[in-house]
Amino acid sequence: MREFNPWYMALKHLDEVAEKINLDPNIHNILKKPKRILTVSIPIRMDDGRIEVFTGFRVQHNITRGPAKGGIRYHPQVTLDEIKALAMLMTWKCAVVGIPYGGAKGGIICDPKRLSSGEIERLTRRYISEIISIIGPEKDIPAPDINTNPQIMAWIMDTYSMDKGYSVPGVVTGKPISIGGSLGRNTATARGVMFALMNTIKKLNLNFSQQKIAIQGFGNVGGNLARILQKENCKIIAVSDIKGGIYNPKGLDCFKVSEALEKTGSVTGFNNGEQITNKELLSLNCDILVPAAIENQITKENADKVRAKIIIEAANAPITPEADKILNEKGIFIVPDILANAGGVTVSYFEWVQGLQSYFWTEREVNLKLRDIMEKAFENVWRISQERKVDMRMAAYILAVSRVAEATRIRGLYP
Amino acid sequence: MLKKIECFLNPSRLDRIKDELVKVGIEGMSVGEVKGFGRQRGYLEGEKINKAVKFLPKIKVEIVVDEGMVEKVIDTIKELCATKTIGAGKIFILPVEDAVRIRTAEVGKSAIY
Repeated sequence: MREFNPWYMALKHLDEVAEKINLDPNIHNILKKPKRILTVSIPIRMDDGRIEVFTGFRVQHNITRGPAKGGIRYHPQVTLDEIKALAMLMTWKCAVVGIPYGGAKGGIICDPKRLSSGEIERLTRRYISEIISIIGPEKDIPAPDINTNPQIMAWIMDTYSMDKGYSVPGVVTGKPISIGGSLGRNTATARGVMFALMNTIKKLNLNFSQQKIAIQGFGNVGGNLARILQKENCKIIAVSDIKGGIYNPKGLDCFKVSEALEKTGSVTGFNNGEQITNKELLSLNCDILVPAAIENQITKENADKVRAKIIIEAANAPITPEADKILNEKGIFIVPDILANAGGVTVSYFEWVQGLQSYFWTEREVNLKLRDIMEKAFENVWRISQERKVDMRMAAYILAVSRVAEATRIRGLYP
Repeated sequence: MLKKIECFLNPSRLDRIKDELVKVGIEGMSVGEVKGFGRQRGYLEGEKINKAVKFLPKIKVEIVVDEGMVEKVIDTIKELCATKTIGAGKIFILPVEDAVRIRTAEVGKSAIY
């Protein structure tokens, strides 16, 4: 069991912002509740002939600013409260970067490591057919999340298209390039994190190449980020994955680390560095710490050991609220998840736009447009944090909740 | 997004344009002496126009700014250069795909500001 309930935490965040911006209590009431929750049972024929029944969810928190958008995760510890919280987080994330989406999230309680590829395909197709009435390019557009990948997105697109009788690439993002995926989607989240990091360095008047950076997590976000930053001549002194980390104060060659990961299955297979644990990585003597793994990594137990001056939240909710308080009191500059990792959903939006137009952009175009959106969002959040004398997290929430609240107010109440 | 403002102006206004644009907040400009002609084919107002096209001395001013500043820069130049006679000049606004500050390798807006 988790030590806290993510849904109550999300509501608490909203309450705090509501107080700061004097949010109309009627609108606050609307935003407190997800627009729609669908729980489905998913019976699947397993490879051995048995039928197993899984449980899946799709939650749409808010669609005031546009269709709902959010990933689908396959994980044994998925709970409805977690999905509700993440759907709300998606509403705020899309509003912070100003893309015309609401928030949604989906999940299936399952352990994909114990399922065959055929079982995962049948699970995906049956799940999609169970939620098919509430998704669609103008309703709700799923995307990859924990343990879901481009192949699974292709099955989602195929299942939906078969039901309609024609191909509908706009129903899902994170698809393979061959069926309408966007160039640059794979590195989008990492690239967005890098823009957040560069803007931070610029605003704080620091020197880019002198920063010592530690990255927790070496998957799609952490790994791509490490390699992109190295190309920009940054000094990465530590990286880690689920098995542990490696540290070299002189800087790691992240391309060689990637090779070691491929050969040995872990970044710890890289031999030009000292072996450290994930916990040790968080308290390293570095300038910038990038948690890019999973939630709840910096807690009230280890927050006072953090020595970085800047934290960029590449993962969702890597810092607990108690830890956030401690870090802020220490004067650490934190770029919050809903801003820092919004590059992924931004390029998902580009993929959807390209799909609707059936006209595809070059990778350079995608990356430049992403940079433009990330820079504008950072600038807006920074300005609010300066004007209202609040931290970047509160500033991002103020921007996001105000935008959704204004859209709700101007649309009025139906009927 | 960055924009480049490229204008061809009467040389006499250059110093005031420079000072006023710095007040508006531009971070740099490049100026070159050029020769050119426009619709007046190189003839000044009141001059008798015959067949031969002539060149007149002009200055070319190039400024790269964030798109949010474009209107202010244009208004400033227009105000200072509006003579209401022919040959006052032209302003062109071009999209800039990207910029790089060579020393720091900063890109985009950060390369300018």
